[in-house]
Amino acid sequence: MTGGVVVGGWGFVIAAYSLTAIVFLTYGMTLITKLRDEQSRAEPEGKQK
Amino acid sequence: MKKAYVFIALGVALLLVGSYIGLFVAPAEEYMGQVQRIMYVHVPTAWNWMLAVLFAFGCAIAFLFTANTKWDARLEAGLEVATLFAFLLCCQGSIWAKPTWGVWWDWDPRLTSVAVLLFAFLGILALRGFVDDPQRRAVWSAVATIIASVDLPIVYYSVKWWNSLHQQQSTPQTVASQFHLPLRINAFGVLFLMIGFIMLRTRIANYRLAREMAMPPIGGEQAGELA
Repeated sequence: MTGGVVVGGWGFVIAAYSLTAIVFLTYGMTLITKLRDEQSRAEPEGKQK
Repeated sequence: MKKAYVFIALGVALLLVGSYIGLFVAPAEEYMGQVQRIMYVHVPTAWNWMLAVLFAFGCAIAFLFTANTKWDARLEAGLEVATLFAFLLCCQGSIWAKPTWGVWWDWDPRLTSVAVLLFAFLGILALRGFVDDPQRRAVWSAVATIIASVDLPIVYYSVKWWNSLHQQQSTPQTVASQFHLPLRINAFGVLFLMIGFIMLRTRIANYRLAREMAMPPIGGEQAGELA
């Protein structure tokens, strides 16, 4: 910091945006995978009935 | 389920546009410089985290009034998404705090009250994992969610009540007009993403609940067979 002004800081900005993207992407992929898994487990049960 | 994917796609598109404007078009702030651009992801995450907590609170109330398991499935989704957003919020806040406050974390009332709610929701999710009886699990987690949600007004008003290190709430009145557009676009982006996530997670919870209900209860004949 120089005279009360933050200088630079792009590294922090990139870190925050990257982390946000990674968290959203990972969670979204996890949900889709789990949902497909649940759907495939439910289908054979439905067919048996 | 198509609706959930539409919401997610819309959320991603808005976030891409909003983040582009926030990173490359909007001017840097006078004192915080480039670091202020973190606001365009941090503040929308905070707003939508509060909405997710309110959603979980509403589902908990609705379940206790109706005893309908669809509200429990929604509660589970709300709890998980709110926990994820709280974690993300704390991490983004830490990244912003380091260059502006000089520390990664401070036990400031705003940060502490968010951390309390994060750990409370984590505890409720853990509780759900330990209780096998779906009805008991739903009641316990609904009651615990209502108790934990009392912290939300404390989070919101903490910056006013204690005039702490964390800045006051970011609203269109407190933020310069040049920063409004990326902030608003990203707020809707995160909102649509959150709605899509909650819809998908609710569907998963419903599948699991249906499977649990279809399973014979442990005890009786099954216990005899095991013995």
